[in-house]
Amino acid sequence: MLKAAHPERPDALTWAFLGLGVLLLPVGLYLALSAPPDVNQGYLVRIMYLHVPGAWLGYLAFFVTFLYSLLYLLRQDPRYDRVALASAEIGLVFMGLALVTGMLWARPTWGVYWTWEPRLTTTAILFAVYVGYFLLRGAIEDPELRAKAAAAVGVLGFINVPISYMSVKWWRSLHQTQSIDLTTGKVHMDPAMLQALLFNLLVFTLLYLGFVRFRALVAALEARKEEA
Amino acid sequence: MGRVWLLALRDLRLEVRDRAGVLSALSFLAVMLFVMALALGPEEGALRRAAPGVLWVALAFLATLLSTRAFALEVEDATLDDLLLTPGGKEWVYFGKLLFQMLLLLPLSALALFLAAGLFYLPLEKALPLFLTLALGGLGYASVATFYAGLLARLRGREVLLPLLLFSLVVPVVLAGVRATAGLLEGLPVAEVASWWQLLLVFDLVYLTAGALLFPVVMEG
Repeated sequence: MLKAAHPERPDALTWAFLGLGVLLLPVGLYLALSAPPDVNQGYLVRIMYLHVPGAWLGYLAFFVTFLYSLLYLLRQDPRYDRVALASAEIGLVFMGLALVTGMLWARPTWGVYWTWEPRLTTTAILFAVYVGYFLLRGAIEDPELRAKAAAAVGVLGFINVPISYMSVKWWRSLHQTQSIDLTTGKVHMDPAMLQALLFNLLVFTLLYLGFVRFRALVAALEARKEEA
Repeated sequence: MGRVWLLALRDLRLEVRDRAGVLSALSFLAVMLFVMALALGPEEGALRRAAPGVLWVALAFLATLLSTRAFALEVEDATLDDLLLTPGGKEWVYFGKLLFQMLLLLPLSALALFLAAGLFYLPLEKALPLFLTLALGGLGYASVATFYAGLLARLRGREVLLPLLLFSLVVPVVLAGVRATAGLLEGLPVAEVASWWQLLLVFDLVYLTAGALLFPVVMEG
């Protein structure tokens, strides 16, 4: 995911990820809209095809931030910091998407937009941690100290990701448990719906990869301008 | 280990000599509990239900206050760099500051417990398990607070940034702490609360290790 020290423009791989993601997005949308309705929720369940990929990518992006923050702390190479920053930013956007679609979904099914339920609460906190990550970045002017401090938050803040993921199992409450359980590998879903969901997950992941590479490049250009 | 105690005791002595710091922390705690009781009262049942949450929020504020104080003098007198320049690893600075905070936090949280008991009609038969819960949670708070306070010590706007970064990160501790406290106050047997203690202990260990490992890295330079 790293680029040369002085990149000029996005490389072929970035364009490939972005292009493929954008091309497949309508296909994913078609699959989501043609998937069978849910027994209980009817057509409402289709918000899942946006909600689950959003949350999944939020987690994935924060994991990448965690990984590259650790790498930065070990190697002190600014390129790692830029990837961590890019991933956190995109993770925040996707997590926001998951929160918003979740609220839109909660209103008709649970009757309220928001409730202090473990999954919702832990996700909101996760969101707040990475908002703090950017506030901290904004507060520090020295690039080296900024990268170090941000990396520390990127590492410490990640503790909340597994808590958020596992919250539906630890505290059984309103939010349903994972349809695709990564800890046991079990899938509780109709095959047709699963196909559509997996396809959308793939499309969003491609887009994420493209976005991260693109954002890291922009960060590199910014850093060069800052130095000059 | 010797250095850790030395640093903690020196800070403690400075703090006690100054008196203003401890006293203001103490009065802040008292006023906060009083205002919360006033806002939520006067019904006894409502007060009792709210008490665990109020207590843990009060402790969170207290931990923020103490962790800022732990580094305030070092920054004022520009001695932080001298501390960090001593030969050997830098973890001991982290542990020293943490120990200083715990030495203040433990008696203050015991005091907070008694104050809350008076204001919120709490039964204190299980005072010892309750105090153990507060101590475990306090360690969780302080381990993260010390780390962030050190990280932010040299920055402008640290007063705002610290609670923001700290509170979102210690929520698991708040959650486990509130559940354990509420369980004990409702009269649940200690064995049933033990699982929350385990969770608190796990968080304490995770935060402590992460803090001790990251502190030297972010403080140098």
